[in-house]
Amino acid sequence: MPREVRLEGVGRRYGVRGPWVFRDVDLNPAPAALTRVDGPNGTGKSTLLRLLRLLRLLRLLRLLARVDAPTEGRVTGTPRTACVPGRFPAALPFTALGYLTHLGAVHGLSRTAAERAAGDWLDRFGATAHAHTPMSRLSKGSSQKVAVAQALLAEPELLILDEAWTGLDTDARAELDRAVAERTAAGSAVVFVDHDPRRLAGRTDAEYTVRDGTLRRRTAAPAAAPDGPRVIIEVHGPTAPLPPEILRLATAAEETADRSHRLTAPASHSDVLLRALLTARPPWHVVSVRQDGGRRP
Amino acid sequence: MTALLRYQSALLLRSQRWLPPFLLYAVFLAVGVQGGQPLLDSLGYTAAFLLPVAAWLVRICVTNEPPAARTVVAAAVGPGRAHLACVLVALTTAVVLGAAATVTVTLISDPVGTDHDQRVPVPQAAGAGLLAVLTCALLGVAVGALTAWPLLRSPGRAVPALLLAAPAALVVTGSPARAAVSDLVGGSRTATVHAPILPMAAAVLLTAVATAVACALTSRRSP
Repeated sequence: MPREVRLEGVGRRYGVRGPWVFRDVDLNPAPAALTRVDGPNGTGKSTLLRLLRLLRLLRLLRLLARVDAPTEGRVTGTPRTACVPGRFPAALPFTALGYLTHLGAVHGLSRTAAERAAGDWLDRFGATAHAHTPMSRLSKGSSQKVAVAQALLAEPELLILDEAWTGLDTDARAELDRAVAERTAAGSAVVFVDHDPRRLAGRTDAEYTVRDGTLRRRTAAPAAAPDGPRVIIEVHGPTAPLPPEILRLATAAEETADRSHRLTAPASHSDVLLRALLTARPPWHVVSVRQDGGRRP
Repeated sequence: MTALLRYQSALLLRSQRWLPPFLLYAVFLAVGVQGGQPLLDSLGYTAAFLLPVAAWLVRICVTNEPPAARTVVAAAVGPGRAHLACVLVALTTAVVLGAAATVTVTLISDPVGTDHDQRVPVPQAAGAGLLAVLTCALLGVAVGALTAWPLLRSPGRAVPALLLAAPAALVVTGSPARAAVSDLVGGSRTATVHAPILPMAAAVLLTAVATAVACALTSRRSP
């Protein structure tokens, strides 16, 4: 059973005679890949993400779609999906921890696992102090942290981020970058929209632009050197060359001596890279880890 | 689905929005049903009053979440299931409310026919009352599902539609709710208990169709 999503020739319009928001869209957010969708405001980026969100129903509705045709095309795959909306001012009668526990259970975790994961994610985003605050009293940034934690706590196979970074503080934005790196390293497909062109620059596997009512894959633009801090990791290991999944995580790798390599990776990917090195078979010995200044955004 | 139902129930309970329909039902019953009245008549009122209350509960449950919260739940389980959970929680609440009312009414009413002479068997009457309550709750849920989001989105249309459709579902010829209530009230004249099994089966069917339509339409109109 393929958990991979594939949109083929998908179109969407509002109402039977309404204009098409977009048509002939092919999108295949591959597992373990980070996909960026951009385009000017109001061109249907969010509508496209919405289609990804509604996958299950679209499949069910293929018959109905033939009758009233708001949606056309073929959709395959039913991954476990989670999304983060850009605005999450959810005035719900729960505490942050209570809401996350409920959502973790909705995502398929057991109650205890959901509560533990909720606590862990609030901690990672520095919101532990707000765990027992009613949702209606959370600030915009804290609400957004809850929205992000909600999507990450059940380790989804397809993660959709619609301007998810908006409103987060610097630490939380960096943490979200790391969480995205973890998700892709764990084999999930991640699709994101963000108004900031530098967001995860150089770390995306595919970039698309919504223009003139359709989706175009951007291939021409060379991967910009990632901004922001980088980490240099020196490793010593087996005679075998570095495995491809490690090379994919690093932006640069050079062999400094026999069986010694120097790897450069964006700071957001350093944890994932170290984990991959230490759990590789045979494992690599990490000689040193240091931060490279880089240009701060 | 269990987790989803639990989440929606917690949302309904903690939001305290169940209170107005509950109070409305209590007031309806306090006015319409008094101790010592013929049992079957009172059970008929109990069931009939539940229909608009059930419809209102559906409206509350499907509008209880802010759009952003609805979005994240719909992404996790699909918008159809998310909507189904709202409707099921409303149905359960209505049935619990109706069952509690039936028990109370059975205890305080006089087990006699309308003529206050012929006896009515209490267990059978209570059973028929529960069936009628179930029928009316189901039909109320159907009315609520068809007059709320995603079928009618603006409150300007949805609320008047609800207010017109709920009484209409009680009086229009061929309505299972009307049949169930007339079974009880009609039986009271002759002091015989007619269990409204056929109306309940019809109500199950109607509600299933109405809910399926509403859930299927959520795809087009999900935020």
